[in-house]
Amino acid sequence: MATKNYPDPILNEKLRDRYYHRDQSNPEFTKEIEKIAGTMAHMCFQCGTCTAGCPSAPRSSYRIREFMRRAVLGLEDEALTDPDLWFCTTCYSCTDRCPRDLAPTDVIMAMRNLAARRDIVPVNFLKTVQAIYSSGHGVPNNDVNRAAREKLGMTRDPPTTSMYPEYIKGIQKILDHYGLKERADRIIKEREG
Amino acid sequence: MREYAFFLGCIAPNRYPGAESASIITSRRLGIELLPLNGASCCPAPGAFGSIDLNIWYAMAARNLVLAEQMERDIALICNGCYKSIYEVNHKLKHNDELRDGVNEVLKEIDMEFKGSIDVWHLAELLYDENIVGVEKIRESVKVPLTGTKIAVHYGCHLMKPKKERHMGSTEAPRWIEELVEALGAEAVEYRNKMQCCGAGGGVRGYDLPHSLDITNEKLQNMIEVGADAVTEVCPFCQLQFDRGQIEIEEKFGIKYDMPVFHYNELLGLAQGMSPSELGLDLHAISTEPFLKKVL
Repeated sequence: MATKNYPDPILNEKLRDRYYHRDQSNPEFTKEIEKIAGTMAHMCFQCGTCTAGCPSAPRSSYRIREFMRRAVLGLEDEALTDPDLWFCTTCYSCTDRCPRDLAPTDVIMAMRNLAARRDIVPVNFLKTVQAIYSSGHGVPNNDVNRAAREKLGMTRDPPTTSMYPEYIKGIQKILDHYGLKERADRIIKEREG
Repeated sequence: MREYAFFLGCIAPNRYPGAESASIITSRRLGIELLPLNGASCCPAPGAFGSIDLNIWYAMAARNLVLAEQMERDIALICNGCYKSIYEVNHKLKHNDELRDGVNEVLKEIDMEFKGSIDVWHLAELLYDENIVGVEKIRESVKVPLTGTKIAVHYGCHLMKPKKERHMGSTEAPRWIEELVEALGAEAVEYRNKMQCCGAGGGVRGYDLPHSLDITNEKLQNMIEVGADAVTEVCPFCQLQFDRGQIEIEEKFGIKYDMPVFHYNELLGLAQGMSPSELGLDLHAISTEPFLKKVL
């Protein structure tokens, strides 16, 4: 049976191991998740309503219920190193349907934040940071669009940081406060050379 | 005239400028003046940015909010992704002192302070609110009714979900955007799994394009099944996913739909008598001609 694969053989071995080992559990992880997500993940009773309505579930091995269980059991490494973590479209269907009034989507966001602290973050997320750092926009203007805007009787650049680049400095200061651009550059360089 | 600071985001001004222009022109006819919010940036993208560090997301969104506070105007916007960032961060910072103090600590470095003095609205909710515009007034503004067309409404996610952090009621089977569509003379059709995501959000479009397109493909199939002539949405990112996504679906899966995709304000512009070229419909990846032939 084809399953998920990791480049790391130890992780592959772990994937086959369905048992719960206390030494793999970090109770602090559960607390951290609950703090960032602002939801009581430990109240989850594993009904599976979340996975049932998840648009990513039918087309991948991503199971939001499994991530909820990992949050409760403190299975930090398992949660943060699973590439499925990044299949959540953040549609919030699970959150709106959860009979325990929890926010599984925000649990995923919290896990992604914690994964990112370990530099586990897909490159496309970091490229958005780079684009915003240099232009203020995640999807910046281009010459084709400038011509189209002109044809519509609009200004070639919208009245955003595109028209007022002097505002970009403030954005860069915020990002530099957290050292995010530097981190994004470094991680992208490590991955792509 | 009610005045709002128009928060543009990225995809409308930089990929579908017709949606931006149509919003300004159609709103003015309905008593809403959308003023430029000078120096605004990306909201920033809640999926891509929030996934990395929510605190940075708060600070970046707060900078945009402060620009509107300085204008002393509420924000109106036309993108669900922007709505999540701008609306939600505004709400959180207003109600969480610890969070607000943390953000203000960072904003101090650029001589800004979040005060919490404005509100944030999606233009669609302003259009629906009868104290502001309302369905009747929209109906009265129609010059070219879209009679005889079937339109599938795609709500997108972050406009109404999560419902406990919004104010628009149940997210299982809403009908209010359908009412806005029917005010234009079109028939708004129901289809399977209407509230499903377009597939683009959460960074998934960039992370795994075929996965993301497969979700879009399912939605398109459900719309085709009920004979929809077009899809309408209130989010340029959904628009991009449905419009350019169809080209990618054809390349990757070999399936061709040719389903025209309109931002609601483009449809409204059409019904108010704006020409396709005034609306920049030629910039869409999927030709809107088959739909236009039915109504013009």
